[in-house]
Order: sequence, then C-alpha cells, then structure tokens
Amino acid sequence: MRAIKKVLGGDLKQYAMIVVLCSLIIIFNIASGGKMVTPSNFQNLLSGNAYVLILAIGMLMVIVVGHIDLAVGSVAGFVGMIVAISARDFNLPWGAAVLIGLAAGVIIGAWQGFFLAKLGIPGFITTLGGMMIFRGAVIWISKSISVPAPPELKFFGAGYLPEWGPAWTGLNNSTLLLGIIAFAAFIWMEGNGSRRKAKLTGQRGEVWPSAIKIMLIGAVIGYATYLFGSGRPGTSFPVPGLILVILIIVYHTITERTPFGRHIYAVGGNKGAAALSGVNVKKVYFLTMLNMSLLAALAGIMFIGRSTAAGPSDGTSWEMDAISAVFIGGAAVSGGIGTVRATMIGGLVMAVLNNGLMLLGVGADRTQVIKGLVLLAAVAFDVYNKTQGKSSIISRLFQKKETAAETK
Amino acid sequence: MKKLFKTALAATLSLALAISLAACTSGGRTEQPASPAASSTDSSNAAPDTSINANGFAADATIGVSLPWLGTQNWQEASDMFKNQLETAGFKAIIQAADNKVPQQQSQIESMIENGAKVIVVGPIDGSQLGTVLEKAKDAGIAVIGYDRLLENTTGVDGVVQFGSIETGRLQGQALLDGLAKVKGAGPYNIELFGGGPADPNAPNFFKGAMEILQPKIDDGALTVVSGQTDFTQCATLDWDNAKAQSRMDSILSGFYSDKEIHGVLSPNDGIARAIITASENAGQQIPVVSGLDAENESVEWVWSGRQYSTVAKPTDVLVAKTIEIIKSLQGGNGMPATDVKANNGKIDVNIYELPPVVVTKDNAKEIFANDPARMELLK
Repeated sequence: MRAIKKVLGGDLKQYAMIVVLCSLIIIFNIASGGKMVTPSNFQNLLSGNAYVLILAIGMLMVIVVGHIDLAVGSVAGFVGMIVAISARDFNLPWGAAVLIGLAAGVIIGAWQGFFLAKLGIPGFITTLGGMMIFRGAVIWISKSISVPAPPELKFFGAGYLPEWGPAWTGLNNSTLLLGIIAFAAFIWMEGNGSRRKAKLTGQRGEVWPSAIKIMLIGAVIGYATYLFGSGRPGTSFPVPGLILVILIIVYHTITERTPFGRHIYAVGGNKGAAALSGVNVKKVYFLTMLNMSLLAALAGIMFIGRSTAAGPSDGTSWEMDAISAVFIGGAAVSGGIGTVRATMIGGLVMAVLNNGLMLLGVGADRTQVIKGLVLLAAVAFDVYNKTQGKSSIISRLFQKKETAAETK
Repeated sequence: MKKLFKTALAATLSLALAISLAACTSGGRTEQPASPAASSTDSSNAAPDTSINANGFAADATIGVSLPWLGTQNWQEASDMFKNQLETAGFKAIIQAADNKVPQQQSQIESMIENGAKVIVVGPIDGSQLGTVLEKAKDAGIAVIGYDRLLENTTGVDGVVQFGSIETGRLQGQALLDGLAKVKGAGPYNIELFGGGPADPNAPNFFKGAMEILQPKIDDGALTVVSGQTDFTQCATLDWDNAKAQSRMDSILSGFYSDKEIHGVLSPNDGIARAIITASENAGQQIPVVSGLDAENESVEWVWSGRQYSTVAKPTDVLVAKTIEIIKSLQGGNGMPATDVKANNGKIDVNIYELPPVVVTKDNAKEIFANDPARMELLK
C-alpha cells in the first residue's frame, strides 16, 4: 500500500473521480458491446465537449475566487454570432472575424469585471444581468435567424491534424508525434520534480517510484495515442481536443505555479486575510471575470466551427454544464478550493455519462435525471467526507489493508 | 510567470511543429475504403464501408431517428410511430430526442453513426447547425433523410420529407380569409400576424405562403394590421414558444386594441393559436378567427367547439410512412426515389419529397379524421 502511495503521491482522494471515470468508461463499453472505446467515439467525445470543458476552466477560477458566472452561455453565443456576422456581412477574412470575436470577449469580460470589482456588485447578480443582456443581444443582432460560420472555423471546432510522413506506422503521425512529445514532457517534468525534491531534502529520493510512475503514465499516453491515432485515415487527435489540452496546461500552471494563481485561492479562501497580506482583491476579481469571458468567447467560436452556423439559441444553459463540471470536480461553493485537473475529470464524467447513455439509446429525459443524480451524489460524497474528517472511501479501503498487513 | 511562459511556449511550439511539419511533407495514411487493408486498421470503427447507392443493406439494419424534442404532440407521435413501424418492418430502431439543445442533437447523431446506423432520419432543431456531423455520416456511407424540416448549409443530406411549407402557409392564409367572411360578417377586418420559430427553416415559408394570400387584401384595405407589424422578424415567435406568443398578443391587445375589435389572427401552429385565443379572452375581446397547424388534440377540440376556427393537419402518419418508404427503397438497393422538387440548402440542391397538408374546420373534421380513432374520440 505504501508503495502505491509513493507512486501516486500522498493524497489518494483526488483519484476517486478518476476511478469513477474509468469505471464508467468500462461499464458503458461492455453495455454497448464495445462501441464506447473506439477511435471515432473518443474523437466525438472530445470534439463535442471541448467547449464545455473550456468554459469549465474559466468557471473553476471564478468559483474558486468565490463568485459564479451565469453569463458564459450567452457570451459564447453572442461572440459566435459576432464572428459569423462579421465574416458574412462585412466580408472579413475568418482570422479577422475571430480576432474581433476574442476582442468582444475581452470587452465583455471587462464590463462584467467592472461591475464586480469596482462597484462591488456580487458576481451572481452582475452575470445574471449579463446573461439577459447578451442573450437578448444575440437574438437582436441575428434577427433570430441562424448565420453560416466561415468554413475555415470547422478546423478549430471539429477538425483533425494532418496525415504526413511514413504510412508504416499505421497511425496518424501527427497524433503519434503529440504522444511522443507528451511522454517526453512528462519524463522531463518528473526528472525536474525529483531533482527539486532532492535539493530541498538534501537526499536523493528513491528511483523506483518515479520509474513505475513513468511506466504507468507511458502506458496511458501510449494507449491514448493508439486510440486517437488509429481511427479512419484522415482523423487524428481532434483539434478542439488539442486546444483544450494546451489550455489545461496553461491554466494548470497559472493556478498552481504563479503568484496570480495563489492570489485566486487566497481571495477565495479568506478575502479579508488576503487583502491584509497585500493581495489586490479587486484586481484578482477583475482579471478572473475578464479571463472567463475570453474563454467563453473561444468556446463560442469553436462551437460555431463545429456547427457550421451560429444560431440565436447557442449557449443556452452551457453555464450549467460548466458549473456542474466544476462541482463534480470537488470545488467548494464557498470558494477557495478546486483544481483545474479535478474540474476536467468532473467535466469528463458528465461527458462520458452523456455519451454512454446516448450509445445505449437512452433518451434526453432520462439522461438528464441521471446526470442530476450523479451531480448530487458526487457533491454529497465530497461534503460527507469533509464533515466526517475522514479520507475518501478508496483510501480508507487501502488503509485497512495496510494496518492489517502491519499487525501481521 | 517565467515558468508559465515556458510551458505555454512549449505547448504552442509543439502545435506549430505538428502543423508545419505537415505543411511541408505529404504522405501518411490514405483513404482506401474498398481495400481490406484499410478496413483492418478500421476494424474497431463501426462505420460501414458501403455507399448508399450500392446494393442496399441488411433487412434488419439499424436505423437512427433524431428528433428535436418531445415537447409537442406531433413529435411525440412521430417518435412512437417511427418506433412501431420501423420495428414492424424488421429494422433495429434508435429513436432519440434532443430536448431542443443543438449540441445534444449533434452528439446523438454521432452516437447513431457509432451504432452503425445505415440511415439516419433527422428532424433538426436548427436545420443549419448540423453540418459537421451530417458530413461525418455521409463519409461513413450513411443516408441522411431530413424529416419535416430542411437540412441547410451541409452537403451531407440525401433528401428531405416534408409538407409543402409555402403551400401550408397559403392554406393558413386562405382559411383565415374564409373564416373572417363566415364568422365576422362583412369587412373590413382588423387582423394581426404571428410567425413561427425563426430557427426552423419552415417558419419563414409558412409566413411567406400566408402573406401571398393576405398581402393583396391588406393592400386593397379589406384587411388592416392595426399594430403595423407585418415583417416576419417582427412577428416571429422564438423557439415556437407559446408563452412568448401569448405575451406578444397581450401587449398588442393592450397597446392597439383598447378601443377596437380584433377580428382575426394568423397563427403558425396550434399551440400559438391557443395562446392567442387565451390572450384575446383575457383582454375581454370576442374570440377572433385564428388559423393553426398540426391538429393537436387540444386544438381539435377547440375547432370542434368553435373556439379556434381552423387548423391545418399535417398528418404525422403520412410523413412517417413516406420516410419509411424511402428507407425501404434504400434497403432494397434502389437508392433515393425520384422526385421533381429540389431546394437549394446553401451548399447543394436537395431532393424534396413534398406531401400535401389539409385544412381542418368544424365542417370537415369528421371526414378528415375518419381513420384516426384517437381524434374521432375528441369530436363528440
């Protein structure tokens, strides 16, 4: 048991949701007769949910800082419509239209941030207003009629990486290259981590936990590369998935490794204490809201790429999907707690549930009920553990074995 | 911060590398759907490799039906009929409804492709937002049939089965005129206009068809639109939402009809028609002559009792039967049946299989529903 802890790191609780996710995938794969774990289904899973997961990254930061953003769906729909309209009616090249869209996202974010940070209106109310304003605006500017999106955007919303190089690999070589880069980056980080640990503690750590970890992760990356790379020729790891991965890396680094990231947690945990220790609370609020709307803009643009048109009801209730992903990932409603990684797992749990139930032919009505129950169960599980002051069921299971082994 | 930049840089560079490498070299795997070598790398993929015009497909193949939602009677009926009739015909049916959410419908269609469907019938929420997934279905050799609404902005559609939507509009307009002459005595008449959900490509056509009949009468003064709202965008009802129509009617009545009587209202469907009638009653008006569409149970009763003047039946069973006829033709290897009507969907000309709708008033209701025991039950 101690060996497992050494490999995975001290806190086993964070793996509970990963276990849930993996079991869901396995259960659905068996129940659907092997239709779950196929290259095309996993490509669909990423392409079809990248926009929600991107929203969830921003939403995590907003929730950690102690607020909530109800406007993200409307903002995403509004920006998507701006991009489609500026490309169609003003004949702008798609790149310019996208830049206009992202700029609109920043301006909207600044608007929301202004009310929250400068006027001190709670985020719930600021963004409730925003939700109505931008939903109305998208219907207004579109005259409630869908507008075709520039076809180039399909690459970002549902595209694949190119095929190149030798055919004998049997895989999409772009995907293979990504897999190799990911594996190399992981080894490099693991090496860095243990060097830093050695410097801090003054002694060289054991090598074998690192080695096992590298083998495990290597197997996962290898399998994922095979899965995504072995689809129909012309398909690969999907581009929206790649954009998502890059954003995850960037925002993981921001929240865990930068002063700004630490400030978000500090303000969310205890605003007064953070202010007294010199954190500029207003600035943190402002930037968090700005960032959220920027990500919402990106999500909206990717969505119209996938849909090939921007519609007047785009983005309806997306905020709810993003918020549930964050809470299933274990973030606290009161703020201060939550990580990007756990949020992504939470979002994937919802995505896999949705996808698996569809493959089984379950209707939207029952799917909705099941998703609601899962959300409640996940949060109840989390809250129960906190009030009991115990570790999660999984680590408790191991705990028993461990003590049993020791008493022998 | 430095660390952040490093990571971001590394991530972006790797993407750039992947793409630029691809730009200057070519090769990799190529698509060879016919050869067994390609299908071996493709073995885990459920997609079939036959094209739709080849030799048909197995008589017990999977057929997917993706509907927008089950919130109105016609979609619920379509869902039940497709299930019964496809299963009676020996097919495996996957019937799903998407709760009026476009992303949900996109994923449902993808999951039907995964399930190896040979034909996918799509009643779209927004006919222009399914481009990518329908093209995916086309690449997988699946026939895509639009149901009740045109599939726009995509090459991935083989045909659309629908009632002539302009003709439906004309019938609605004519029924309104007939009703006014019959119920409200001699003109001129005060009327208002309502349109359907703008995301539904049929809605502007209904309106256009109705206006072909009504516009000349408005021009010669026989009809007056008191609110002056005669553009489709002014009259449209977002998402076909009855509540939105009711509040628009409420405000029109309080704003323009405080000292006038309303004689007639053009309504695009039954739910909106009932909302209009309720609003008129609440405002203390005589019930105006109102058109409708879909012959929903509630409205059939209202037509029978004289509260709603008319509705237009687009019998769902006829629509479903036509769709299943096409599926059987595809199954037998006969391809899509021939048709004279084509419509441009923004990318290609699509085969349209048009069916004629029928006007229902109190006078002819018994004849029209003679073969529909459930609705005959209502006419008592």
